[in-house]
Amino acid sequence: MAGVTSEPLLDPEFLTKLEQLELVSRKIFVGRMKGERRSKRRGSSVEFADHRNYTVGDDLRHLDWNVYGRLDKLFLKLFLEEEDLHVSILLDTSLSMDFGEPTKLRYGKQVAAALAFVGLVNHDRVRIDAVSSRLDEGLSGLRGRSQMWRVVSYLEGLTASGASDLAAAARAFAARHRGKGVVIVVSDFMDKRGYEPALRYLLARDLDLTVIQVLSQEELEPELTGDLRLVDAEDGEETEISVSPALLKRYRENLDRHVSGLREWCTRRGIGSILTSNQQPFDRLILDYLRQRGLIR
Amino acid sequence: MVLGFAVVGQAVPWSFSSPLNAGAWMVLAAVPLGIVLLYFLKLRRRPVLVPSTMLWKRSLEDLHVNSLFQRLRRSLLLMLQLAFVGLLLLALTGPRVQGLARQGQRLVLAIDESASMGARDGDPGPTRLDEAKAEARKVIEAMEPGDLAMIVAFGTEARVVVQYTADKGLLRRQLDSIVATDSGTSLREVLELVAGLANPQKYLEPGEGVVASEVVAPRLFLFTDGGFADVPGFSLGNIQPEVVAVGPPPRAPGSGDRGGAGSDPAGDPEGMAGIGTDGTEAGSGIVPIPSDNVAILALSAARRAETPEEVQLLGRVRNYRDQPVVCRAALLSRAPGRPGLPDTLIDAVELELAPRSDQSFQFDLGSSETEAQYMVRLDVEDALPLDNTAYLVIGQPRRTRVLLVGTGNRFLADTLDTEAVRPLAEVTNIAEERLSDPDIERELAAGEYDLVIYDGVAGKRVPQANTLSFGVLPPGTDAGRARPVEAPLVLDWDTAHPLLQYVRDFAGIGIRRGLVLEPPTGARVLIESDQGPLAYAATRSGFVDVCVGFGLIEGQEFNTNWPLRTGFPLFIYNCLRVLGSAQEGRGIESYRAGATILLKPTIPGDRLEIFDLSGQRVETVERSAHGSFAVTRARRTGIYEAAWGPGPSERTAFAVNLFDPRESDLSTRGVVPPGVPDDEAERYLIRIGYNPVAARRIEAPTAQEGWWPLTLVALAIVLVEWYVYNRRVAV
Repeated sequence: MAGVTSEPLLDPEFLTKLEQLELVSRKIFVGRMKGERRSKRRGSSVEFADHRNYTVGDDLRHLDWNVYGRLDKLFLKLFLEEEDLHVSILLDTSLSMDFGEPTKLRYGKQVAAALAFVGLVNHDRVRIDAVSSRLDEGLSGLRGRSQMWRVVSYLEGLTASGASDLAAAARAFAARHRGKGVVIVVSDFMDKRGYEPALRYLLARDLDLTVIQVLSQEELEPELTGDLRLVDAEDGEETEISVSPALLKRYRENLDRHVSGLREWCTRRGIGSILTSNQQPFDRLILDYLRQRGLIR
Repeated sequence: MVLGFAVVGQAVPWSFSSPLNAGAWMVLAAVPLGIVLLYFLKLRRRPVLVPSTMLWKRSLEDLHVNSLFQRLRRSLLLMLQLAFVGLLLLALTGPRVQGLARQGQRLVLAIDESASMGARDGDPGPTRLDEAKAEARKVIEAMEPGDLAMIVAFGTEARVVVQYTADKGLLRRQLDSIVATDSGTSLREVLELVAGLANPQKYLEPGEGVVASEVVAPRLFLFTDGGFADVPGFSLGNIQPEVVAVGPPPRAPGSGDRGGAGSDPAGDPEGMAGIGTDGTEAGSGIVPIPSDNVAILALSAARRAETPEEVQLLGRVRNYRDQPVVCRAALLSRAPGRPGLPDTLIDAVELELAPRSDQSFQFDLGSSETEAQYMVRLDVEDALPLDNTAYLVIGQPRRTRVLLVGTGNRFLADTLDTEAVRPLAEVTNIAEERLSDPDIERELAAGEYDLVIYDGVAGKRVPQANTLSFGVLPPGTDAGRARPVEAPLVLDWDTAHPLLQYVRDFAGIGIRRGLVLEPPTGARVLIESDQGPLAYAATRSGFVDVCVGFGLIEGQEFNTNWPLRTGFPLFIYNCLRVLGSAQEGRGIESYRAGATILLKPTIPGDRLEIFDLSGQRVETVERSAHGSFAVTRARRTGIYEAAWGPGPSERTAFAVNLFDPRESDLSTRGVVPPGVPDDEAERYLIRIGYNPVAARRIEAPTAQEGWWPLTLVALAIVLVEWYVYNRRVAV
């Protein structure tokens, strides 16, 4: 498993795929100018979107004085926000990602690189952070295709370490980045404390959230036999099991519950969620993501 | 009641006989338990690094709801291991199908090793002993786990060949080691031996092997041709004897093709005597069954009364066939000390023997002063060659050495110097004062004399000899006490005692003074007077002290008129014969094979080496506390020489013969001939106590052993387990 990470991220095949993505994303964004992108968020552009009741603390500059004159009631004008899109990628680099063939981390790096590439070529502000037991601030404020080498070299420099503590990392991220935008979390979400607190922190920042859950083939279809002592890669916790059909059945049931639980939790909160295995070609995943984002059909 | 089939059990579909006891089972029962425990305690789990144990833990927690049962149920390997051990345990219970329902039988295989078992009923053919061994082997082969068997060989004496064991190999080996002896047969011996083991309340000797428990009555198989006397008055206890007859089957009365007396139950009273049932079956009407044998039943020597130097050989031959036999009896001799059979032909007589009859023969040997060894051989072909030869040793006449210590009693001296006594005894006459002579003392202590006669003179030291005392107590502290009486009157005397044989005239003898004796413990009173015992015979560590409580003379006068009676020289003669061992000196004793032979040679050493005919040393015997030598290994017939030194004069010979009409009679006993009515059948059976025992042929009980298919299945399970473990099927 460890040997796989030493392979360069930028192999020719990968670059070819990135080029294809570029074409695809170019087609999607063709004709659009920077800043023309309409955000779903209400913001401060000139294009009126809606009214809403005034509450204490609202910016008085946005009051619709005409309505006030006519109805003697305070309404606030809401505008569609035209924004410089911030694309933040949170890549889980905990030890549990260092598994699989290729490792989940490598797969995650490829995904992150691809997403960053799509963002960069579309002139979004791209930010990449590594997440393990804490938030490792990585690159930020990247824009333009020329920054791609930085992304790749940064990702290549990432190694798996530490236990995963999504909640702590998400809290740190939410605290430091007040800006709005798109946040993509690439992780296996194998956090014994649960993924919910982490996602809640990000949700609270009113971010456009997407989770990509990467699982290795060994996790999806374990090929274990005999009496084993399972050692947790992150915290070293040991679990003695005697592999039996019943246990395997239970495991699959639990895995399904875990995956579907995540998906359901996210769907309910408007979070996009994608499950992928390390065997799936990452370019297809990117297309899935983009399709889910409604950017392509 | 006919015993012998009592144990044949009811056939049941399944039965168990485990070779293990309860303790072993307790230990074995812990094995499956231990496997289960070890299964849970398995320490060597293979460590596997996984991204996260979160889901596994959760899965385990789900399973923990009924985890113990689940784990057991799902672990194929454990189940297979348990099945394997279970089957092995089941196999150890010794299940069998359609077998004899029995539980750890005790079998006693008594093999007759007497002379008649050496007979060959067909020529050439196996000996009866070989047949008996083959039959016994069947019983051993039919032994099942838990059965214990013991082999006893019996001739004149019974001996345990191998103690109770379940080791069939050992039993077979020991069975093969039995060879026919030349001895007679004693059923009582073997019954008493087996009874000691079978009926622990009768005899219980520690260390006598596994004592048959009270619950398991041993089965006694007697493999014999029946050449033994019935055993009246013997309680079988819980022994269950089964006589397995070896030898030709008997013919039914009247069906015999040879006709003659064989078909007549009442006929041939001489034949009855030939069977030699000691008269116990005389008149019982048993059909004497002819057998193919001609035997010398007796051979003895006698010196002529008128010319004692000359010796006559007298013998008796019996024809057991129901056809007349003409044969020749040859007398051969051998020089002492030279190995090999006697080969110098001296004489021969022609014998004509009527069917089933005896014939005597006689050889005159002329004068013989030295030891001579003889063999008489019949040149006849029969089933048992052993009894066609007889041996005899005529020893050098040895005179008894007698020391007479007295006051010059003429009557006694004269009585010891008669024609009859002179060849027997060499009398040394000494006066009282010479008794303390160192030479005499040394000779007495060394046992140089056979008999010391104290005639009114009390001895001071206990001599290594028999003593005869007149009017005084014999020397030694054990001699009892005495009180003087006047004119005792003889009332009674023990005519059954050998010392008083033919002594009839005590009645009316006069005694002036005497001693009334208090005999020591164990002594036998010989003469009883109106005032108490007057004479006794007491044993003293191998010697005999005879004390006569009245002196013969007193000063110059008679104390009693007994020396004038006929009884007195007879008494002295008896004393010389019995106390002086004079009879042995005549050297014409013959011994039975297998019996313990007591030799009392007057030799300096304490060791005697016994050589057989071929010069092989048979045994070395030490002098017993009683001064005699007990030879126990003279099991074959022939001439034996006992040597106490290397020189030719330092050896003496004795003859061992069969001389057993029962052994020579080769007809099979114990089997009822076909066609005999039931009410007469009992006559043919061997009678032990009040129970006639039927003989039969063994049929090996067939039992389907059930342990080996179980063991095979267990083996198959091990193979499956191996496969499962290596291929990881469904685990």
